[in-house]
Amino acid sequence: MARRPEDRNATLLALTSSALLLPAYQGALADAQPEFAEMGMRYSKYNEDDITAKKAFGGGSERYDIDVAQFHLLAPVAEDWSFALDVGWEDMSGASPWFVGESTGGDPKVIMSGASIEDTRTEVSGTTRYYFDRGNVGVNYTHSDEDDYESNAGGVDGAFNSADGLTTYSGALSVAHDDIDPTQGSVPTNTLHADKDVTSAWVGVSRIISKRALVRFGLSYTYREGFLTDPYKYRDQRPDERKEWTLSTGYRHFFEEQNAALHVDYRYFNDDWDVASQTVDVAWQQNLAQDFRLTPFVRYYSQHEADFFSNIADTDDRYFADDYRLSAFGAFSYGLRVQRDFGNWQVNADAERYKTDESWGVYSGDESPGLVDFWRYGIGLNYLFK
Amino acid sequence: MKYLAGLILAVALCGCETVQPWERGLLAKDEMQWQPNLMEAQLRSQIFASKEASSGGAGAAGGGCGCN
Amino acid sequence: MRRVEHSFKAMGGPGHLRLELDDEASAEAAVAAAVAEVQRLERKYSRYTDDSLTSQINRAAGTGQPVSLDSETAGLLNYAHTLWRESDGLFDLTSGVLRRAWDFKSGRCPRQRDIEILLPLVGWEMVQWDKDSVYLPKAGMELDFGGCVKEYAADSAAAQLRRNGVVAALVDLAGDMAAVGVPAGLSGWPVGIRHPVAKERAVARVLLPEGGLASSGDYERCVQIEGKRFGHILHPRTGWPCGGLVAVSVLAGQCLVAGSSATIAMLKPVGEALDWLAQLGLPWLAIDADLACHGTLRDADLPSA
Repeated sequence: MARRPEDRNATLLALTSSALLLPAYQGALADAQPEFAEMGMRYSKYNEDDITAKKAFGGGSERYDIDVAQFHLLAPVAEDWSFALDVGWEDMSGASPWFVGESTGGDPKVIMSGASIEDTRTEVSGTTRYYFDRGNVGVNYTHSDEDDYESNAGGVDGAFNSADGLTTYSGALSVAHDDIDPTQGSVPTNTLHADKDVTSAWVGVSRIISKRALVRFGLSYTYREGFLTDPYKYRDQRPDERKEWTLSTGYRHFFEEQNAALHVDYRYFNDDWDVASQTVDVAWQQNLAQDFRLTPFVRYYSQHEADFFSNIADTDDRYFADDYRLSAFGAFSYGLRVQRDFGNWQVNADAERYKTDESWGVYSGDESPGLVDFWRYGIGLNYLFK
Repeated sequence: MKYLAGLILAVALCGCETVQPWERGLLAKDEMQWQPNLMEAQLRSQIFASKEASSGGAGAAGGGCGCN
Repeated sequence: MRRVEHSFKAMGGPGHLRLELDDEASAEAAVAAAVAEVQRLERKYSRYTDDSLTSQINRAAGTGQPVSLDSETAGLLNYAHTLWRESDGLFDLTSGVLRRAWDFKSGRCPRQRDIEILLPLVGWEMVQWDKDSVYLPKAGMELDFGGCVKEYAADSAAAQLRRNGVVAALVDLAGDMAAVGVPAGLSGWPVGIRHPVAKERAVARVLLPEGGLASSGDYERCVQIEGKRFGHILHPRTGWPCGGLVAVSVLAGQCLVAGSSATIAMLKPVGEALDWLAQLGLPWLAIDADLACHGTLRDADLPSA
């Protein structure tokens, strides 16, 4: 009873292709207009581990503790439109590395910013999307405001399905203008007022490769121009432009026997500061009885240091930075997410541990004493208006 | 890079399996979406961007924050 | 793995859903959505109810007022047009009007004159339609979706089950079946194709993989006139029963395509019909007036369950 394509004669082809235009056979179209409105709320907390006395002058110190609340609303509007609203609030407090000095033993050690820094951030983002037969186009505006930083960004993005619906082409463009007004008082700052512009483009293609598998590829380019130096770091002077490339790929596979889906994502990042990185994300979405899903996930990240990075920054150089984020290191994180549906409600919770180490990286370099580990916890509630 | 380019080419040329619209039920499941947990993903990518020198890859960069 | 069964009445016959899933909690919503979908299509396309779209279109015949269409109905008209073209005019959505002359219960033949009055009202080529509207130019003309809407409803119900996360289910609308996935441990759903005369007996038992199985022909709804048996499937150009095969079953990717293929075969003379089915390339089974079986559908090696 195998039905091979070559068995199909012209009549059957005509019947089938004309039948498939009917709505009953249009299921599972990527990026179709949402049928129902949905709403979500999420509270997360993440705590950076204390820096140990061995790595900091003046003894161990607390680092950042951050609380995040998120709100999400997506609603179909009229026949072919949807509107999405995303709001985020962030409250951070704690200390961060100010600069790195050499201890009497010759080891680099961090000098922390000392007094506790307090900052709150509010982000509001709105997206209007138009859906047509073979895809959709969205327009987005995002505003983010905190005590010392303001960002305004706009973007357009679109997705287009091939006629057979097997391939989806996507693209996105965004521009952002950020204003930086460092809070004066706790540490001397590298500027009183500065700004930067970010322009970014992304293209992607995803493809159905079997009844149970999807694959995608993406390419992005981001150009940053303006004040890219960290305003609070004592020894930090960075170029005023940065060109970044990413190449990414993803794979999804459904296993019927296990009633689970495997997610694998990979990203290669490269920029003209000589930073390069590789990221692998793997998740296993395991369905259990009664609308209950358990998702263990792991992530591996490794980066090459920036060419002007040095643990003991030389301020005679044109560009210099001792920021641990520009050093060579590897990071490994793992976590678990649980979610359960109760009718139109869904409750979810997750926890993740992130740990860094210079020796875990695939690129070698000097280990920064400022490397950070953290714990993240989150709990969320979603509601579908159906 | 070469390997990746090869992989892309391989997938593009293999022609893949023709999966008819009515055979895409499994692919439409929530757990098969590129991003089933949107808010969590947004937060994670922001956290990683503030702790690492890399960001992006899932779309255009959009707006920034003082965290990096 | 649990099995959920649900029976209901729809489209003038028995409907049956069989689902296999992990938890029963989600079955309820899926079953409700599938049944509601069948009922929606019945209300929309029935020619027996005054408020159906079909009745609206038929009432507007000859009035000069086209009836506006939704995309689903436009899709069905487009599909019917393909069937008309591919069957050289044998499948005709306007031929239902011929039933006015035929009373299959009476056991009498209509007068040729009564048929000839109706024949000018039959002709798909006269129908004015596009994606937004349809108009029947002659008063008395009728569209009848009966030849495809039950099969389409089976597929639509299956689509609703898929949308509700069901990965293995069988929709059976009085013998027109649509399968979602396959049952655990089997390569298809074990289904029987009913014998046209000995109704309780299966002519063939097959495994239906994801897709559809539909049958056309109803031996009981025939008139026996002067020892000659006339089927209820009427030829759109003569107005007389086609007198071809007695029953045809086809297995296809969709129940709709399976059903239309079976119907077109029923409209053709026996020899032509068998050739046409063989060329189509789909698994099929046909029974002629002598109750002899033809075709590629054979008993599958079914597990003794």
